[in-house]
Amino acid sequence: MYKTAMLTKDLVAASSKPLLLSILAGGESYGYEIMQKVRELSGGQIEWSDGMLYPVLHRLERDGLIKSEWKAAVTGRERKYYFISSGGRRALKTERRQWLAVHNSLCKLWKIEPVSS
Amino acid sequence: MAGRSQLPVQIMENRTRFELNTAIENWRNQLAAQPNFAPDDRRELEAHLRDAITEFQQRGLNDEESFWLAGRRIGQPQQLSDEFEKANSTRVWRERMFWLALGIISWQLTLILTTVAKIMLNYLTPGLHRFYQRSGFWFVDAAILIIGIILARGWFVRSTKPIWFFANRFRLVLSMTVLIILLASTQVGIVRQISLNRGYDSVVRMGLGAWVPNLLHLTLGYLEYSVAPLILLMLFFPPQNRGYSKLDCGHIE
Repeated sequence: MYKTAMLTKDLVAASSKPLLLSILAGGESYGYEIMQKVRELSGGQIEWSDGMLYPVLHRLERDGLIKSEWKAAVTGRERKYYFISSGGRRALKTERRQWLAVHNSLCKLWKIEPVSS
Repeated sequence: MAGRSQLPVQIMENRTRFELNTAIENWRNQLAAQPNFAPDDRRELEAHLRDAITEFQQRGLNDEESFWLAGRRIGQPQQLSDEFEKANSTRVWRERMFWLALGIISWQLTLILTTVAKIMLNYLTPGLHRFYQRSGFWFVDAAILIIGIILARGWFVRSTKPIWFFANRFRLVLSMTVLIILLASTQVGIVRQISLNRGYDSVVRMGLGAWVPNLLHLTLGYLEYSVAPLILLMLFFPPQNRGYSKLDCGHIE
């Protein structure tokens, strides 16, 4: 569609959960800020479409992994802030183990130094 | 920014001054015309749009360019709607079912009212009633139905700016077609079956053996002519901008 992702669609879908949970584990944030953070972190390689972000956030919220709250910024503009729940932190730990397992296996195959978990 | 002179908004000869808040309002109305957003979703997306606009403004673009780029980045309302549909299907269907139930109930009321009106009409002026039946006074039913739909909508919509039920031409044509089929079939079906000329009396005069098939016939005819078209009508055209106030988001000066 209007995605210009460097990652494949499947990979974007799969990685959105650990990415969002990790960002929110570092502190509450709102949609626009999260988008910028992802763009910044990946050097533009992970290009999410704005429309895709919110359904993913809402799904995480429905699953109880994150919570949300409307808050006004200093400028008076209201934004919906998301923050991670304790269930979300547990889910993040699991995600982390799984992604590192994949990562380390690939590193061994490609003979790159693996990252410790 | 390189290439900014090639933006379509500049190529278009737009002589009226660009008004950012008006543009945002239009965008919001387009969003409200899509079926898959809860009021909270729209509020969130608008906050996102405004953040993007501010970012582009800070980079030195003017209002029009900022709005255009922000709109492009966030995606067309139609595309956004598709994305949200995947995530929100339960809510969408719950809402559709609500309108379906409301539609069936109001249609039943309409039927009862028109039937009573027809009985009275027959009682008062049998000649006019026969004319009614022969010519198929469909617009009487149509008027009642349309008024009913508009009233039902007005009751539930709390938008500061009303959005017409038939918001686009496609929806207008389709709903009119369904409406005409609905009314035509109702005329042919219900009115003829339970018409006063050969209606209840003839059913009562029939023996017990004829009752069951007749009732079955009536029920089937009833379902076919009144409920089925309504299911179509309410499933495909639920009102869409409930409970959204445009004052929810901060205004850009």
